[in-house]
Amino acid sequence: MRNGPLFLLGLFAALTLSWAGIVLGSNAQLGSLAPYYDDAEGQSFPLRAPGIANRGQLVYADLGCAACHTQQVRRPDFGSDQARGWGDRQSVARDYIFQSRPQLGASRFGPDLTNLAGRKPSAPDADDLMNLLYAGSERHPAYKFLFTERAIAGEPASIALKLTGNAAPDAGREVIPTERAQSLVAYLLSLNNGYDYPEARPIVNPEAEKKPAPAAAPATEKKENAPAATPAPAAQKAEGKK
Amino acid sequence: MTTAPTHVSPAPAARAASAEVTAIDTTARGPLLFLLGSGIVWLVVSGVLALITSIQLHSPHFLEDCSCLTFGRAQALAQTAFVYGWLGNAGAAIALWLLGRLGGAPLRALNWVLVGALFWNAGVTAGLVGIGVGDMTSFSLLQLPRYVQPLLLFAWAAMAIAGVLAWSGRHRDHTFASQWYAVGALFLFPWLLSAAQVVLIWAPVRGTLQAVAANWFAQSLWSLWLAPIALAAAYYLVPKVSGRVLPSYRLFAALGFWTLIVIGPWTAGRHLIGGPVPAWIATIAVAASVALLFHYLVLVLNLRVAVGAGGTAGKFVTFGLGAYVLGGVLDALTSFRGVAVETQFTVIDPALEQLALYGAISMLFFGAIYFMVPRLTGRAWTSSGLTLGHRFLVKIGLVILLVSLGVGGWTQGVDLLNAKTGFADILGHLNLCLLAASAAQLVLLAGNLLLAVNFFQSICVWSAAPAPAENYLEAAAVEARVS
Repeated sequence: MRNGPLFLLGLFAALTLSWAGIVLGSNAQLGSLAPYYDDAEGQSFPLRAPGIANRGQLVYADLGCAACHTQQVRRPDFGSDQARGWGDRQSVARDYIFQSRPQLGASRFGPDLTNLAGRKPSAPDADDLMNLLYAGSERHPAYKFLFTERAIAGEPASIALKLTGNAAPDAGREVIPTERAQSLVAYLLSLNNGYDYPEARPIVNPEAEKKPAPAAAPATEKKENAPAATPAPAAQKAEGKK
Repeated sequence: MTTAPTHVSPAPAARAASAEVTAIDTTARGPLLFLLGSGIVWLVVSGVLALITSIQLHSPHFLEDCSCLTFGRAQALAQTAFVYGWLGNAGAAIALWLLGRLGGAPLRALNWVLVGALFWNAGVTAGLVGIGVGDMTSFSLLQLPRYVQPLLLFAWAAMAIAGVLAWSGRHRDHTFASQWYAVGALFLFPWLLSAAQVVLIWAPVRGTLQAVAANWFAQSLWSLWLAPIALAAAYYLVPKVSGRVLPSYRLFAALGFWTLIVIGPWTAGRHLIGGPVPAWIATIAVAASVALLFHYLVLVLNLRVAVGAGGTAGKFVTFGLGAYVLGGVLDALTSFRGVAVETQFTVIDPALEQLALYGAISMLFFGAIYFMVPRLTGRAWTSSGLTLGHRFLVKIGLVILLVSLGVGGWTQGVDLLNAKTGFADILGHLNLCLLAASAAQLVLLAGNLLLAVNFFQSICVWSAAPAPAENYLEAAAVEARVS
């Protein structure tokens, strides 16, 4: 390594190669991913979140919620995500194309939030989330700084929290969410991955698939654009992953 | 190509030979001691923050009313203070010092180093304030607010000038592995940071590609910046503290170096297994993690003589190298899908991060600092008791931390896989391990406080009566062991 410039050039090439391969390579594959137009529903998915939810995502990011909550549901044979009711299908890259700062997260001290508003049988509503943020729970901190407590002037405000027990304010006072709390809750309530993209359908074991209709599988090309409300017939779209 | 060190001074590090203090050290000591001192202060600060996050994990209501210390923010603060504050400052000092010594001439452009160091620390401080008030980005290891990142880029580039000048103006034709690693780290960090900034901050890529780019950055930060500086120190110190020639050096050292630099960043995708990103990213990462084992094998071959080395520096270096190799093997193991399904999203990830950043990098840095400071000041450390206490506490603390997080992570992984176990139960099962982890953080903090006291005492004693400078030609003679 006597040749200094060549050495530095080699270092630079190694860095550039990995950057180009990983970052630019995946960008070439997914960078221009478009929304999926569904003929039957007459609109394309994913839906754009309202502005207040986009602001809420910034609150979510700056408080560091992603340190405990992921937003990615993995496929059924990889982890228990779907068995826990976090979503009916795995998350795909298309889910995130309208998000300015996707919050995939890398750690689960709390449940996944990908499909929080679309959970079955019961998704939390705004009151549940406000109360959790204000009062916390045994395993969730309370973010009281997202709220203000004030004396009730005239009628109680419509956005005042409906609190009971220890968390309730003194008589004649009420707890009002700040704008940050409202946008955060709007964001959480916008998290809904109900629409089923073709690429999100599970890859079914080909041997199990042979039993019902051995000849049916190859000729289903046009079904790709079919509404996905019904469970996918499993045969199509077996490309891609293993 | 180079040759291995052929002659090694038998002097143990602890004796801190003032005979070995040369003009190469004395001319650079102002900026280098400033960097080391600020690094140690950040180490203590990050220790306090890490303790807070650790407590918040088992007692979620701890400091919950303080908006600047939500768990997410405190974690980002601790990580930033540790990586950019402690490892960045100390790493710059170590890399520059090694390049000066091995180049055989006093460092040039030291004013740039001082200015860079001042701005670096100003940047880290501003970054922590920014994270506290809610300006952090959501990318692991790059949570620094966007307005601070260019400052750090230029501050590092200013410091690196001295290193690159020492490399290009070296007095010897041959180069040694330490120099490759040190120059690599100094040279690549600004490119790395700017490449990440372009795709994450200034012209962000879409959707989940941000996660891909952020993982590439985090992995490259390790493979191209932190690990190389630590290995530069290891290659320099091992022959000195063991008194032996590095075996298999000529054959393998360069291969080991290029394996890390070329393959290391490709292991980025192992954290994205099962995620909404192209599957080939994770697949390549598995293959790269396994291929990278060759790099760890080379280190074992070259640096195995460190085992049994005496002295404070020697013991830290041996521990650090052990942790480095263990971390590499575990990284490869947890990258496999069958293992990742158990470990993903659990505290195994932070455990491996601690093993890498604390067990490997910091321990090697500690070794280098214990070796460097007496040579920069010309005086031995003021207290051998504090040295011993520091070594004892950080090792004990780290082992407790890793074992508790490892055991906790495994139970958490098993619980997460069982859909019938609710989160209250999962965290309940984890509680004991998290308590142990907090105790470990306390021990680590206490240990690092001892280092801080010892360091600043030594500086005070030295500044009251500085050692005289000597001719730098003698320095060249000292380093002639790398021929």
